[in-house]
Amino acid sequence: MKIGIPRALLYYRYGIFWETFFQKLGHETVLSPRTNKDILTKGEQLSIDENCLSTKLFFGHVAALEGKCDYCFVPRIANLGDAGRFCSRFEALPDMCSNMFRDTGLKILRANIDPEQNIPAKRAYLKLAMQLGASREQAQAAYEAGMAAQMEDFRKKIKLNRALLKKEGIKVLVVSHPYNLYDEYIGAPIIKSIRNLDAVPICSDGVDPREARSKSTEIARYVPWVVSRELLGAIQMYRNQIDGIVLITAFPCGPDSMVNEMIIRRISHVPILNLLLDSQDGNAGIDTRLESFIDIIRFRKEVEQ
Amino acid sequence: MKKAYLGIDIGSISTKGVIIDEEHNILASVYLWTEGNPLGASKKVIQELASQIDLDEWTVVAAGTTGSARKLVGAMCNASIVKNEITAHAVGTTTLHPDVRTILEIGGQDSKIICVEDGVAVDYAMNTLCAAGTGSFLTSQARRLGVDVEEFGKIALGSKNPTPIAARCTVFAESDLVHKIQMGHKKEDIIAGLCNAVANNYLNNIGKGKKILPPIVFQGGVSKNEGVVRAFADSLGEEIIVDENGHLMGCYGAAILAHGSGIEKPFSFDVADMEFVTREVICENCPNHCEIICVYRDGELIDSWGNRCERGVIRS
Ligand code: SF4
Ligand code: SF4
Repeated sequence: MKIGIPRALLYYRYGIFWETFFQKLGHETVLSPRTNKDILTKGEQLSIDENCLSTKLFFGHVAALEGKCDYCFVPRIANLGDAGRFCSRFEALPDMCSNMFRDTGLKILRANIDPEQNIPAKRAYLKLAMQLGASREQAQAAYEAGMAAQMEDFRKKIKLNRALLKKEGIKVLVVSHPYNLYDEYIGAPIIKSIRNLDAVPICSDGVDPREARSKSTEIARYVPWVVSRELLGAIQMYRNQIDGIVLITAFPCGPDSMVNEMIIRRISHVPILNLLLDSQDGNAGIDTRLESFIDIIRFRKEVEQ
Repeated sequence: MKKAYLGIDIGSISTKGVIIDEEHNILASVYLWTEGNPLGASKKVIQELASQIDLDEWTVVAAGTTGSARKLVGAMCNASIVKNEITAHAVGTTTLHPDVRTILEIGGQDSKIICVEDGVAVDYAMNTLCAAGTGSFLTSQARRLGVDVEEFGKIALGSKNPTPIAARCTVFAESDLVHKIQMGHKKEDIIAGLCNAVANNYLNNIGKGKKILPPIVFQGGVSKNEGVVRAFADSLGEEIIVDENGHLMGCYGAAILAHGSGIEKPFSFDVADMEFVTREVICENCPNHCEIICVYRDGELIDSWGNRCERGVIRS
C-alpha cells in the first residue's frame, strides 16, 4: 500500500519514525514536496482563517498528496503524558482532514495517541500496524526499527549543534517549532538570511528532548506544552554559548504568544528578536530586522573587545 | 582631489541624500519627495548633490544606500554598502550626538525606536504596518480640520486644555475626532490632543518595554511638529532634542558606513543621466513562481534578485 505523509507539523518530529515504521511493514511511503507557493495557497483556501500558518500549510501538504497515495497518514497526537501536551490544533487534525477532503476520495489513515487517556504511543502504533495486516511480531519489529532510526536522527542533530557552537563568529539560536524552522516558507529563508549575514544559525531542536524539558523548569515551571518546554530548555542549555536568539512564530500561535512573551521578560542578558510570520508574501521587513539585529550584536561585540 | 562619500536614504515618502568629507562634515544635502519613483527621486538627489559641491575639488569614492528602496538604488549607484535603516540611523545620530541614549523616530509611514549604549545600538523596535500615529495620519487629520499640517505644532502649543483623542487605531481616531469636533471642542485643543495621542500611541506601542533614557533625540518628519515634541517632553519628563538635520540621519549614516566599509568603488554623477529600468520576470522553473526583479542600466542587466533558489538566477 502507498501511504502518504504530509511534510508538515509533526512530520518534522516523527517523520523518520513514520517512514521507517511503514516501510518495515512493507508499505511504500510518499512524502509531499517541500512547501511551495501552490501548497501555501491551497492550504489557505482549505483552512479557516483562525488557523495558524503552520496548520494551513499542513492542509496544503495533505492536498498535495491527493491522487498520489492510497491513504494519507494523519494521526491524532494529543500529549506525551508527563512530558506535556501538544498544541490542541493537533488533536483536531484527523477530523478536520476527513471533513475537508470528504468529497475528494482521499482516504485518511488515523492513529490515536493519548497517554493521558491511557493510550501510549507504542500501543497506538502496534494497533495501527495490526490494522494494516501485520502480525504482533512484525508490528513490534517495525516500531522498534522506527524508534531506533528516530533516536539516531536526534543524535545527529545534537552532534551538528555541538559542532556549530565551536564555530567562530556570531552564533544565533533560532527558536521555533521544528515544523517552522525547516519549512521553506517560514524558517528556511530566515536561517539562510542569518547565514548570509555571516552569522551561525543554531536550530533549537538539536537538543536531547528529555533533558531540554527538564531544564525548561529553570526558566518557567508551569508550561503545559511539550514543544514549548523543549524550546525553553534549548534556550536554558545554550544561553551562555550564544550571542543572540531569534524567535520565529507562525501567526497566530496560542502557545508562542504566551511563551515568547515570557522568554523576552526572563532572558535579559541575550539580545532577542521576535519574528512573527503570516502568509503574506514578502520578506523585506524580516530581512531589515534580521540585518539590524545582527549588526547590533556585531557592534556590541566589537565594543566589548 | 579630496575624498568624499555619498549617502542616500530612499523612503516611501521622501528621499534624502548627503555628501560628506573624511571628517564626516556635511558638504551637500538634499531632501525631496519620492513620489512613488525611487529611481527617479534618487537621480534627482544625485543631480542636486552634484550641483552643491565643486567636482574639481571632491571625488566621491564610495556610496551607501539605506531605506526601503536601498537595494534598487544601491545597484544603480554601484554602492559600497547597502544598509538597513536602523543601523544607518543609529550610526548617523550617534556621530552627531555621541552621548545619545534613545532615538525616537516618526516618519511618514513608519516609526521606530533605537536604544543606544556607549554609542552603539543595543535594542530597537519598528512599526511598518500600522499608520496610526505617523506623519500620514497627521496629514489626513489636518486636512479634515482644514488646517495645514505645518501649522499643527504652532496651533497645538496655544492649547491650554488638550482634548483627549483615542488614537490607538486610525479608524477609531478619525471617528473620535469627528465626534469631538461636533461636541464643540476648540480646534487648538483638538490639535493638541492629536499631538498627545501620537506621542502616547508611540510610547505605548513601539516604546513598550523599552528603557527610554536621556539624552533623547527625536527625528523623522513628525519631529518638525512642536506639538508632538512637547507631548513627548511632558510624557517622558525629559528634554527632547530635535536636530535641524534630523531628517538626514539615515543618509548621513549610510555615507559614514560607506566610508567605514573601506570599499572604494568608482561613483559617477553620470548615473543621473543614464537610463535605469526594472523588469519583473517570473521564474517558471517550479511552482513557487518567484518574481525576480532585474535592473538594467542603459539596457544592460546590472543586478537581479527575488529568486528563492539558484535555479532562478538571471545573469547578464
Ligand atoms: S503550536 Fe502554534 S504554530 Fe504549532 S500548531 Fe499550535 S498554534 Fe500552530
Ligand atoms: S527561483 Fe527557484 S524557487 Fe523560485 S520559481 Fe525559480 S526554481 Fe522555483
